[in-house]
Amino acid sequence: MKLTVRSDLCRGHGRCYDLAEDFLEDDDEGFVTARGQTLDVPADQVEDVRNAAASCPEGAITILED
Amino acid sequence: MTELSANEDLKATGRVPSGCPVIHLDASPPLEVGSHWQKANELREESPAFFNTHAQGYWVFTRYDEVREMYQHPEIFSSESITPWEPDPVYRFVPTQIDPPDHSKYRQLISRWFAPNAITRIAPEAHEIGRRLVADLAPAGECDFVTDFAMRLPTEIFLTIIGVPGSDADLMGPWVEDFFAGFGGDLAQQEAMGAALGGIRQYWVEVLEARRGESAPRDNDFVSLLLHSEIDDEPLDDALILDILTVLVLAGLDTTRGQLGYLFRHLAEHPDDRNRLLAEPELIPSAVEESLRLYTIIFGDGRKVAQDTDFHGCPLNKGDMVYGLVSGANRDPRVYDRPDEFVVDRKANNHLGFAGGPHRCLGAHLARMVMRVAVEEWLKVIPAFEVASEEPLMERGGGAMLTLLSLPLRWEVPA
Repeated sequence: MKLTVRSDLCRGHGRCYDLAEDFLEDDDEGFVTARGQTLDVPADQVEDVRNAAASCPEGAITILED
Repeated sequence: MTELSANEDLKATGRVPSGCPVIHLDASPPLEVGSHWQKANELREESPAFFNTHAQGYWVFTRYDEVREMYQHPEIFSSESITPWEPDPVYRFVPTQIDPPDHSKYRQLISRWFAPNAITRIAPEAHEIGRRLVADLAPAGECDFVTDFAMRLPTEIFLTIIGVPGSDADLMGPWVEDFFAGFGGDLAQQEAMGAALGGIRQYWVEVLEARRGESAPRDNDFVSLLLHSEIDDEPLDDALILDILTVLVLAGLDTTRGQLGYLFRHLAEHPDDRNRLLAEPELIPSAVEESLRLYTIIFGDGRKVAQDTDFHGCPLNKGDMVYGLVSGANRDPRVYDRPDEFVVDRKANNHLGFAGGPHRCLGAHLARMVMRVAVEEWLKVIPAFEVASEEPLMERGGGAMLTLLSLPLRWEVPA
């Protein structure tokens, strides 16, 4: 599974790195450091990442299933 | 004039040209608690859009997707006015009422100060404030939660973050009350609102003067930082700094107070949820998010149309006002299972309680921290409590942010 955070939509709500705290991190301005990137999601993070993506108020996070 | 032509159409047909249904809704009077969310539910299920003949007339969008779209398109929905019944407000909130591209310049000045990293650093002090306030109240066995705790806690924490004495909460509290009495559209309160704005501004003038002329910014002092900041290679002028500081006070204190009141009313009336948080305190952040969704204090949020647009069948003209019914969006059954229930451990909670798009609430991380501190520190000392009122609780009208006018709580004091 892969995750993409769209930089044009991400507004730094912080829901994703709060809910998937073992996988995602924030920068000094409160944006997720994965903004604008596509990352492979480790198997043990899949559940948290799904919740993080579905909890983004901007719909900025896309999940790409394998 | 767009407003006039829309009103003429209304008289003729009862509907605006798109077929959009017309309502007359003035949400400013106080009502029994829950009435505003019920109204939002009814409107949302009746139609995705209305034309409201209140004030000069404005469009209302009731569902999640449309409200989010409004927030995400500032090129169409300008923040020049955020109160749809007042298209040309006398105040100027910075950066709230600044549109892109200038908006991000102002926003970047402030956003680090309110980012999670910065908020986490002051969390120990915030917990200390929370512990002290709860310890002061606990022996009495009763309080009015809204005035005795819910206003005091965010105000003291906010002032501490800015770098001024927390005890100045004594001054800020009454000013914030007076401001929002007028902001919600009550014309009789306009004078008090103006005086409160003047008081808040003068407070910051004095803070500013005390810091002027210093060669380097003081540590952990937001006003000092602003005095040493630049936008487009120019220092900020005083008027701008005062605008920024004033909006932080107005946006940060009343809102958190409102949200805390509804959360604690819920905990008072739902011992199961309270006990679950006592047993599983790691669920407190989730409960905070759920209270932001279910008990949304933003009945609706206004924007001014910046260009002629057809929006989901509504013919919007430049200069029209629109109102995104955030409280309707956050209970939209098209998005949420069990939308009218408080689900402590809800997943996929993408609520718009902190708005969205470029104007996403700057203080969101602070507000969450304050709410978590409130629940943690309160439950440690007062694990069981109830609403001490036979009368229905009342909430301030939805013209400003919703808040309980009063929340009498009582609890047993150990012998």
